[in-house]
Amino acid sequence: MKLLNTIAIIFSLLLGSAFANEVNVYSARHYDSDIQLYQKFTAKTGIKVNVVSGKSGALEKRIIEEDGGTADLYITADAGRLGAFKSKGMLQGGLTSDAIKSAVPKNFRSSHWVGIAKRARIVYYAPERVTGAELTGLTYESLADPKWNGRLVIRKSNNIYNQSLVASLIKNNGKKSTEAWAEGVVTNMARTPKGNDRAQIMAVAAGEADIAVANTYYLALMLSGKKGAEQQEAAKKVKPFFPNQDGRGTHMNISGAGLVKGAPNKANAIALVEFLLSKEAQQHIVNNTFEYPMIAGVSPHELVVNMGLDFKQDLKTSVKSYGKNQAAAVAAMTGAGWK
Amino acid sequence: MKSLNIWYFSSFIISILVIIPVLTVFTSFFQSTSDYIELLQNTFLYDYIYNSAALLLGVLSLTFIIGVGCAYLVSFYKFPGVNFFKWSLILGFAVPPYIYAYSLTAFFENYGTAYTLLKSLFGEGNYNSLIPKFDGMIGAILSISFSIYAYVYILTRASFYFQSHNLIELGKNLGFSKMKSLFNIIIPSARPAIVAGLSLVAMETLSDFGAVDFFSINTLTTAIYNSWLSFDDLVFSNQLSFYLLIFIFALFILENLSRKNAKYHSPIQGGIKVKQKIKLKGINSLFAFSICFLIFFLSFIFPVGQMLYWTIIYPKNLFDLNFISLLINTVLLVSLSSVALIVFSFISNYGNRIAKSKTLNFLTTISISGYALPGIILAVAYITFVAWFDETIINFFEIKSIKKIFIGSILGLVIAYFVRFYSLSCNGLKSSYEKLNKSVDESSYLAGYSKSKTFFKVHIPYLKSSIFFVFILISLEIIRELPITLILRPFNFETFATTAYIYASQDLLEAAAVPSLFLVLTATLFILIISRYILSENYE
Repeated sequence: MKLLNTIAIIFSLLLGSAFANEVNVYSARHYDSDIQLYQKFTAKTGIKVNVVSGKSGALEKRIIEEDGGTADLYITADAGRLGAFKSKGMLQGGLTSDAIKSAVPKNFRSSHWVGIAKRARIVYYAPERVTGAELTGLTYESLADPKWNGRLVIRKSNNIYNQSLVASLIKNNGKKSTEAWAEGVVTNMARTPKGNDRAQIMAVAAGEADIAVANTYYLALMLSGKKGAEQQEAAKKVKPFFPNQDGRGTHMNISGAGLVKGAPNKANAIALVEFLLSKEAQQHIVNNTFEYPMIAGVSPHELVVNMGLDFKQDLKTSVKSYGKNQAAAVAAMTGAGWK
Repeated sequence: MKSLNIWYFSSFIISILVIIPVLTVFTSFFQSTSDYIELLQNTFLYDYIYNSAALLLGVLSLTFIIGVGCAYLVSFYKFPGVNFFKWSLILGFAVPPYIYAYSLTAFFENYGTAYTLLKSLFGEGNYNSLIPKFDGMIGAILSISFSIYAYVYILTRASFYFQSHNLIELGKNLGFSKMKSLFNIIIPSARPAIVAGLSLVAMETLSDFGAVDFFSINTLTTAIYNSWLSFDDLVFSNQLSFYLLIFIFALFILENLSRKNAKYHSPIQGGIKVKQKIKLKGINSLFAFSICFLIFFLSFIFPVGQMLYWTIIYPKNLFDLNFISLLINTVLLVSLSSVALIVFSFISNYGNRIAKSKTLNFLTTISISGYALPGIILAVAYITFVAWFDETIINFFEIKSIKKIFIGSILGLVIAYFVRFYSLSCNGLKSSYEKLNKSVDESSYLAGYSKSKTFFKVHIPYLKSSIFFVFILISLEIIRELPITLILRPFNFETFATTAYIYASQDLLEAAAVPSLFLVLTATLFILIISRYILSENYE
């Protein structure tokens, strides 16, 4: 019996003591600033936030195999992933409080998951080499136009942001047309895709290409000086352009939180989501991650504001379709020889 | 007889435990399939195999040239700094491939460190197009090669040491040039050691996740991970795993065979003459020095310098780092895992020694295959197995779920490390253990010692230095380890490796530099401690 007790003590030491009032967050969105935000939540409510971060695939696998009893919230930076996770039956409904419903526009939430912040995937151009006339009416669709031949950079097809963008094109224009579009884009590429979003922006700054597709985060990051004076200067050599302004608007993706099936601290999880959608938390998020706020009445980071706020966001295409069309998007891109 | 059964039984259990994840990879897939198109799979499959093969070929060529070249220079010649290079050339091992990748990218990218350097030296200019870009496949090959060429270097150097110096004399007598002697006499005679080193390199290359993921190259390993986790395509994943494991097991067997052969080259005690190294003069001496310095610079000074540079220009990151907690976590993992590994490796080795059972020997050999399984796949297999075990067996007996004990706990991490590094620890002890003649045991029994007493009073003291060596080796691996830690760690638990990874994945390589630097410095310290052992002139 003594031995059993000792073993039990060792185990509890190895496992870390369990708090009664807690919420367990699995986050594929691992910003330091998120941790600070959780600390604010704890200070406010007394609910301890336990975080494990990592790559979304691995986190999902862990949640699936733990099969209830541990994970409460799953936070990730792509709507497609949330949708796919829901269709595996791993999320539950319940994010339906008035606070959530009134804060978040309909196309950015379901009862199982809710957008926390928005990201725009936009076009960057070199003003020296791209004329205003060329840009007029630019859409994602027109990136396949022969006039961009050898002038476009965009990252690889295995990137989730590209997959969601292409999934939204499939939703709006159909599979056939998107496959043809992908072929056009591949023809227009100035180089074989490589590097992250920031590398695409820098390729335009360095003159390797004239236009690039990348998320707003990366230009803001460069402008912020966190990447050094050189990149700050380089960022000033490119200008952002928000596509599809005459039509459905610019492609938006979300960082969102899903309520996990069998969550042991469901009420706390919902409370955390509501907190993340509060004005205070939204301000904290956008100041640190250069995302767009999910709720009205909060201004993005100054650097993002300077890129232009007066643009039309795509509020028509439901972000749910990103998950549904993901496999087709990958097929369209790789089929076109998109590396 | 009773004690023999206990030893037998425990080593049997250990072996089974370690084999489980390997089996899980094969068996856990037959559950469901996604609607992934078959045609797509075939295009992908070709791509993955091609990428893995290209990566492998690149890394093998580069590590062969660097490893054998440096070993040749420091073993046979005398030139300024040779004694320094002898050990400093293994320091590259302190820099994991993913950290090398961060440095490489940051230095050579558009508007990167190289650009800043050129600008501060020569003023404004468009240097971006002049700076070579080491990304994609080339980047991955360089990152992995400079991080692990030490395997080839260490083993080849040891083998060269035991070669009679007459090989060069022989070449001379035959009228061979130095180059011809190198290729026709010296390298062939060290072949088993070179092959052993290269197969270790190959295994590490195929299982690498951090660097290839950073450069977004789809290899078999990343493909298994993606098709398993992102697309739920278990059949395809199974297919890929099969290819990868076949690949790896072939290497594994090759390595084992080469090791056996390598032994033929080790000397009988006292059989070695003190050798005179050839003293290089003038341009040759400068040439040898430059080559060794270049490799030392590229493998160690360059990545460390880049991280140091960042830490200096962004000191905030240094102060923001929760250094104490990261250190405590790392020490905790290292100490628990190494104790577990060493204790169980001893039991297994001792069990093998006294049981003399063919089955057990075979099981032990298979069980070291955990090392061949990429860490990231092992981690996922581990989770899958625990869940399966919990849902079938534990559930059947209606006991409380054990998942929380084994997934997302330090215990779980230690078990996964155990499986991964068991081979390292078991083989490390085995090679010294086998040198301890069995007649020593017999004498001990005759003197009235029991089996246990023989073990504790005779074997352990004799093996003290190899225990220490194995301990450092395991520590080194655990400090550098990323994918297993990332997937299995508990809540609110970070190590230097995971912190670096997390910053890097936000594209904040500057902030990743600080934890990376600590990681590399700790690893360097460990390497310096064992360098004497690795390079001691009687190491084989």
